[in-house]
Formats: sequence, structure tokens, C-alpha cells
Amino acid sequence: MSVPLEAYLALSALLFVLGTTGVLVRRNALVVFMSIELMLNAVNLTFVAFARQRLAIEGQLAVFFVVVVAAVEVVVGLAILIAIFRTRDTVDIDDVDLLRG
Amino acid sequence: MLSLIIFLPLVGGIIILFTSKTNETLLKGIALGASLASFVLSLFMTALFKIGGGFQFLELGNWIPSLGIHYHLGVDGLSLPLIVLTALLSLLSVAYSWRIELRLKEYLFLFLLLETGMLGVFAALDFFLFYIFWEITLVPMYFLIGIWGGPRKEYAAIKFFLYTLVGSLAMLLAILVMYFNAQPHTFNMLTLIEQQPLAAKPVLAALAFWGFFLSFAIKVPMWPFHTWLPDAHVEAPTAGSVILAGVLLKMGTYGFVRVSLPMLPEAFRIYAPAVAVLALLGIVYGALVAMAQTDLKKLVAYSSVNHMGYVMLGVASAAAAAGIPEKAVAAATALNGAVFEMVAHGVITGALFLIVGVLYDFRAHTRGVDEFGGLGARLPMYTGITMVAMLASLGLPGLMGFVAEFFIFVGSFGIFPYLTVVAVTGVIFTAAMFLWTIQRIFLGPFNERWAGLPDMDTREKISLVPLAVLMVIFGLYPRPLLDVINAAMTTLVAMVR
Amino acid sequence: MTPPAVDLRLLVPELVVTATAVAVMLAGLFLPAGRQHLLRWLAAVGTLAALGTTLTAGADPTPAFAGMYVRDALTRVIQATALLAVLLAQWLSGEYVERTGLEAGEYYALMLVAALGAMLMAASSDLIMLFLGLETLSIPLYVLAAFARTDLRSQEAGLKYFLLGAFGTAFFLYGIALLFGATGSTGYRALAEHARTPAVIFQAGLALLTIGLAFKAAVVPFHFWAPDVYEGAPLPATAYMSVIAKVGAFAAFLRVYVVALAAQAGEWSTLLAAISVLTMIVGNVAALRQTSIKRLLAYSSIAHAGFILTGVVAGTPSGASAVAFYLLAYTFMTLGAFAVVLMLHRRGEEADQIADLTGVAWRAPALGGAMALFMVSLAGLPPTAGFLAKFYVFTAALDAGQIGVVVTGVLTSVVSAYYYLRVAYTMFTGQPHEDVGFAGGRWVTAALVTASAGVVVLGIFPGRVISFVQQVGQAMR
Repeated sequence: MSVPLEAYLALSALLFVLGTTGVLVRRNALVVFMSIELMLNAVNLTFVAFARQRLAIEGQLAVFFVVVVAAVEVVVGLAILIAIFRTRDTVDIDDVDLLRG
Repeated sequence: MLSLIIFLPLVGGIIILFTSKTNETLLKGIALGASLASFVLSLFMTALFKIGGGFQFLELGNWIPSLGIHYHLGVDGLSLPLIVLTALLSLLSVAYSWRIELRLKEYLFLFLLLETGMLGVFAALDFFLFYIFWEITLVPMYFLIGIWGGPRKEYAAIKFFLYTLVGSLAMLLAILVMYFNAQPHTFNMLTLIEQQPLAAKPVLAALAFWGFFLSFAIKVPMWPFHTWLPDAHVEAPTAGSVILAGVLLKMGTYGFVRVSLPMLPEAFRIYAPAVAVLALLGIVYGALVAMAQTDLKKLVAYSSVNHMGYVMLGVASAAAAAGIPEKAVAAATALNGAVFEMVAHGVITGALFLIVGVLYDFRAHTRGVDEFGGLGARLPMYTGITMVAMLASLGLPGLMGFVAEFFIFVGSFGIFPYLTVVAVTGVIFTAAMFLWTIQRIFLGPFNERWAGLPDMDTREKISLVPLAVLMVIFGLYPRPLLDVINAAMTTLVAMVR
Repeated sequence: MTPPAVDLRLLVPELVVTATAVAVMLAGLFLPAGRQHLLRWLAAVGTLAALGTTLTAGADPTPAFAGMYVRDALTRVIQATALLAVLLAQWLSGEYVERTGLEAGEYYALMLVAALGAMLMAASSDLIMLFLGLETLSIPLYVLAAFARTDLRSQEAGLKYFLLGAFGTAFFLYGIALLFGATGSTGYRALAEHARTPAVIFQAGLALLTIGLAFKAAVVPFHFWAPDVYEGAPLPATAYMSVIAKVGAFAAFLRVYVVALAAQAGEWSTLLAAISVLTMIVGNVAALRQTSIKRLLAYSSIAHAGFILTGVVAGTPSGASAVAFYLLAYTFMTLGAFAVVLMLHRRGEEADQIADLTGVAWRAPALGGAMALFMVSLAGLPPTAGFLAKFYVFTAALDAGQIGVVVTGVLTSVVSAYYYLRVAYTMFTGQPHEDVGFAGGRWVTAALVTASAGVVVLGIFPGRVISFVQQVGQAMR
């Protein structure tokens, strides 16, 4: 029995929404960051599912790029987080509140 | 030559920017030289001008070819007097500003930039260019009021700026409506007049008309868009007031005659009665409010609202008669009067603001009408010139204002008889207002507070005497000026079918 | 299957930028502390070389790399703008980074890499390429925002920018994934083909893609990060990101909406028109209340994003040319305004309050005059670049029948005149603060002079530049 395309899409949409919710609700910068990673992986799942359905290589190719870029983002993001942690001993976004409009 | 007249002041201004600010005599010399050169050239152009020769001294060049924008200049009987007037008033204002001490360099630069903008508006025949020049006048005036103005300068400056900006952006939209409906798309004002691109599209024509109306009416200013004017005038430095009343207001009426009337005659004819009623309200309201003023500068400012009402009455009458052959003569007469009034008001009100300035800036430092009294005996020269200017302003026969108002009333009586009758009664209020003012300041018991007041010095005489002489000359012998105007207005009326 | 042809000659401008970035970074490591200023020369020479190669590159549409990349007139114009932006931004930074001890090879390298990202976005003809360009643009900007490592405000700006940027990227990618699912390809051509009979999934993908781009361009309702980030980041970094992010994002808007989806103008222009109207209103109204010049310019950049968007809404070739022209004008006037602020300091700190500008014009008339010029231009008054840019986009939008958008644009321009003129007015009145000093230098002066010249020339003699950007439109016909 093969899993239909719709199931993959539904799962990835669910993951994406979970990730979005995480970004909007959680206050710890690391958790927010992980939620974003979850969103990116939801995207990857969509790509792969479509690539399988359409038999088009571009989808899988896209996943490689997304993975690489996500890795780069991790590097930059963690560097910024570490810089903040060094000076304030916290990564809670609510404590990072000097700039208010 | 036209370009030279327009840009000489700007060149002077740029030279001033690169001159040391400590050398004040040189700065003033450059400013005076530039505006004098511009004025002399404009006189020279007048001498070469052929009456009835349509647009002359045309200059046409590509500016932004890819957008169809040209550098297109020219003068006719409508713009020529206004250009000369602008050059003259600017020259006199620069001369008058001799005693500005605060930030002289920047002041002179802004002033000359302003002059270039004003001259450009009257000479531009490409809509894009027209708009650019129109807007160029805004920023210098904003700073002139905002930096060198009176106590409430910031408020007055921004109010002036925002009012006018709203208007000019409405104009920009109207210009674009014209542009997109012309085939092929063009900004050329002469072509647009010829093509009448909106003749068959009444809705768009109405929109364009009201777009232009908003812009011009705010500039004129017509009632009820006049509220920026008293503020701006009261706060502006004297020379700024002179230019504001003498020239900037004319840009509005000039727009009506140059743009609204020939390009959108149908729409203007439909709405002319409404415009005429607003003009009438301006006349009556201006005169009545002016009577109630104790501040001399405010008084002159409101009298401007009143006088510009006369101009607009003339223009609206002509618009209402557009295309009706049997009323062509009346229309031309009303227009002649309106244009003549533009020049007359420029000369007279320019003089009046200088007169107020002479008293306020360097002598009494107050403008309260009631605080003076009996100055007539002490300051004979000052009193004489003030009397001439005020009497000219109220329309005494033999002086410039009378000629203008006479033509306006004669012309518009044939078209809007009832409105004209009411408007004529406005003259009575105007007369009452000025006579009462003269009485309060120059007659009556002398107020000892002003015992040490000197009469006008040479520089002030140089600024004021020419204007007074002009009022008398054109009051007694208006023929040369009228001929120039009449030729253009007759063509205009004939063209509007 | 034959491997796709690789024609590196097309990539010369991008390669020069990359090489410069690498060279500057390495040189930064080896130069002794006292000679770090030589990096500026190196970066400037490399950028100018890239600019030269871009301008001399052909404008005939040349696809390459299996249809991922295209070099055409749009590529050329946007790349030139991006390079100009990075050049001016380097000059602006010169004395500031020296003063604050931030000068390092990475600083200039990051700027150059961000420019490279914008250049790639302009040259993309495939969504994956667009994504890579976008990230190449964004990631260096996150770092630049946080570049003052020990400054709490800069850290915070970097974190916010990073988290929200990555959040936006996720939407953008999900949009690409759905579009891929709907069309079976990531190329723009496939988009154009499927746009005629759009499936629900296609529409959803496009909407998500738009959200992602809206995040990057700071368009309402995805603008809220911009004021905080702009305020916290080091001044020259703020200046640069406010320009380069716009250049890249609008290049993408043009590529996706005007080039790929041109046939379906009506479908999405309503959505874009609504966004544009909202952006103009929110940006301009919010700017009224600002007291910090960085926040003011942040909201002003939001407002300008709305104005630029009107050109995209038009969806016509002349709209695309107008957007290109606007980006160029925006580069000059925004960087110019930042240059003026950079030439001042308050007790060694950034003089970033509007009140700090009080009376400064009388102590430095040229500075005051320049600021007045930039403010007049940002407000869109003639005879400056800002006016012509607005005139151009509004004309294009009006021609496309977008009357409501244009009227909103015109009305909000009046609002903007109020707050821009207030800045200029502040410089010309009152007593200057004692603790505000000047921090000029030849680099920032060079940037200021170039920007002023650009604003004036684009405003008064724009003929050549307009025919340059018009190639963008002509290429689309």
C-alpha cells in the first residue's frame, strides 16, 4: 500500500503550522529558532513529495539547497545568540527589549 | 533670452553660495546684480515684443525625450506683464532686504531661487516644466517664512506648505489626466489647447477641472481656501510678503487663464457660476474681515483676498461666456480687467507690504493700526506714498486699481449682472476699510510715542517710489499695458469655441 | 542527458564581487591594525571594477546555467544599482567603523556578499536561484545588524532581524514548494504557463511567496521588524540594509510578477494594490511620530516600499522601468540622508535623534543644505530625483488604470512632506546642542557629494538614466 500524496502534503502543512505557531508563541530564542527549522523541514517534505509525484529532479535538488542554507542560518543565528548570551545571560526574547516602537 | 531671464537669478544664487558669508556687500551686490540683469532683460524683451503676435521668444528643446518631456518656453500678452512684474518686484525686494542681518547668504540664495521658479511658471509651455517651476517656488518660500518669519513662523510656514502642496498634487493628477487623454500623449500646453483632448469626455474633464481648480484656488486664494494666507503674510518677512502677494498669488489666477480656460472650456463654463459665487464671497468676506483687523499686515492680507476675488470674478465671467459669440466682447473685457488687476494688485499690494514693512521692521516695531495717529504731519513722504497706494487699492479713478476694476465690472455685468451688482458694493467696503485705516494712522491727534520717527530713507524710496509712479502712470494712461493684454485675451476668447 | 553549458563570462560582475569580498576578508587578516583603512581602497576598486563590467555587459537576454540564470537589461540595471549602493555604503562606513573600532575585512566582505545576493536575485530565472540570491543577501545583513558585537542594541537588532528574516524565508520557501507542486518545475517559464489556469495550490504558493518577499522588502503588514532593527543596528549598516534589501526584494517582485506573470496582471494586481496602499498609509503616518532619525528613516523606507510597489502594481513595462528608476533614486537619497547623520556625533555616540540636528545647518551650511536637498527629494518635490521617481511610478500606475493607488500615493506624499520638512527645518532653527560635534572625513564626504550629485542629476538631467532604465521595459515587450 502506497501512501497518497495528499497525506504527505497534509503532514507537511501540519508541521509548517506547528512551526509557525512555535515562532509566534514561544519566547525562548532557541526554541523559536528550532520552530523555524521545523518549518524549513516541512518545506523539504513538500518538495520531496512533489518531486516523487511529478518525477521531477528539481524538487530534490531544492531540498539540498534548503538544507545547506539552513545550515548557514544555524551558524549565523547561533553566533548571534551566543553573543547575546555572553552579555546578558539570557536568550528569552522578552528580556531582549531595548528597542521598542 | 527667456532662459536667460529665468535662470540669471539662479546663477546669481549659486555664485552667492560659493561666496564668503562675511563679505555682505558683495553678497548683496551679486543678488542685486542678478535680479537687476533679469529685470533689464525683461524690459528689453518687452521692447521687442510684437503686440498680437501670439507666443514669442519660443524656446523648444528635448529635455527627457524618453518620457516626451520638453523644455518649452514662450511668452504672450498674458505672461509678459507678469514676467516683468515678477522681475520688478523681486528687484525691489532684494533692494529692500538690504538690512537683513540674519543669515544673509542663505536668505539671498532662497530669494533668487524663488525668483527663478516664479519666472519659470509664467514662461513654461510644457506642463511638466510648468509643474516643476510651480513646485520650485514652494520650498524657498517655506524656508523664507520658516526661518526669517515672525513669532509663529513654524506654524505659518508648514500651513502654507501643506495647503499649497495638496493643491499642486491635485494639479499633477489633473495634468496626467490631460496627458493620457491626448493623442499622442503630450505635455505640450499649446498642443493640448489645440487638441482639447477632454472635449468629448465630460466626466474626466470635470475631474481634471476640479483638480486644477483645487490647486489654483488654493494659490489665489479663493474663499474658502484662503485660511493659510493671513498666517503666512503676518509671519513672513516683508520681502517675502511682497513676493507672496505680488507674484505667488498671481500664479493661481494665471493658471486659471492659461490652463483651465483654454484647455477645459466646457467644464469651466458649466462650473463658472459656482466659481463666480466663491469669488463674490471672497470679495465681500475679504473686505469685511479686513475692516475688522487692527494688525496692518493682516489688513493688507485680507484686502488681497478681496482683490483676488475681483480677478476671479472676471475670469469666471469670461468662462461662463465662452463659446457664445454675442458675449465675446464682454468676455474679453472681463478678462482684460482680470489680467490688468493681476498686474495692478501685484504693484499695489507689493507696495502696501513694503509700506507696512517700513513702519514695522525698522521704526515702530508694531503693526497695530490703533497705536498710530497723526503721522501725516511728521512723515510727509511716507504718508504721500501710502495714500497713493491705498487709494489705488480701493479703486480711485486715475490710479491703477480703478482701470482694472472698471473693466472687470463692465465685462462681468454683461454676463453675471446680479453678482456684479453685489460685487460693486464690495468696493464700498474696500473703500471704507482703507479710508478708515488712513484716518487712524495718519490723521487725528498725534501719538507722542512716535515723536522720534524718521521719514523714509533713500533705499526705501528706491523700493517704493517706482511702484507709486507706476500706479499713477497706468492709472492715467493704461493703454500700452492694455494693448498687450487685450491682444492675447481677444485671441484666447476667439479660440475658445 | 548532457550537462548544462557553463558560461562563466556571463558571470563576470558577480565573480568580481565575490573575488573582491574574499580578497578584502583575507587582506583584513593580514594587514596590521594601523593599516586597515587600506581595505576601503581595495573594496572600492573591486566594486568599481564590478560596476564597470556590469555596465559594459550586454543587455540582450541571454539565459544560462540550464535556465537558472538570465542576463538581460533588468539584470544590468538592478546590478548597477546594487553595486552603486554597496560602493556608497562602503564610503559612508569609512570613518564610522574606524571611530567605533568595527573596521575589519569581514565588514566590507559582508557588504559585498549582500550585494552579490541582490545581483543574483536580479539575474534569476528560476525560483531556486531566487531563493539562493535572497539568502545570500539576507544572511550577511543579519550579521551586519549585529556587527557591534558588544552593543546590546546591535545584538538585539541582529537577533530580531535574524529570527524574523528566517521566519519570512520559511514562508518564501513553502511558497516555492507549492508552486513547484503546481507546475512541476521551479522555472519562471513554468509559472507563466500555469498561471493561465491557476490551481488552488498555485494561488496558495504565490501568496506565500509574496509574504516571504514582503518580509524582506518590509512591506505592510510584514514591516514590524524594520523600525527596531534599523534603530539598533550600527548606523552605516542600517543605511546599507535599508537600500540593498529593497533593491533585491523589488528585483524579485519584478522578476516574478512583471516578467513571469505578466499575462495574469489582473489576478494579483488587486492584492498588490491593497498591500501598496496599506504600506503607504502605515509607513507615512507612523513616521509622523518618530523622534529618532533612524526610526524615521525606517518608516520612510517602509513608505517608499509602498511607493515603489505602485510600479509593480502597474505590471507594465513602463512600470518595471519606473521601479528600476525609483530604486536608483532611493539609493542616492536615502544613503545621502544617512551620510549627513553619520557626519555628526553626540559625545562620540551616534547623533540619531532628530533633536540632535537642531541648528546644525548654521554651523555647517553645506551639511544643512545637503540634508534639505535629501529631505526634499524623499518628500518627492521637484527638481530632485525623488520627484521624478514618484512621477514615473505614478504615471505608470495611472496608465495601468490604478487610480486608487495613485491617489493614495499622492495624498500620503503630502503627509510625508510634513515629517521630512520638519527634519530639514530643525537643522535650520534653534541653538545647536553643545555636545553635538562633527565627524566628517573624506570617505563619508565622498559619499555625501556623490549622493547629492545623484539626486540633483537624476532630478534635472535624467534623460540618459531614463533611457538606461527604459531598456528594462523594452526587453519585456
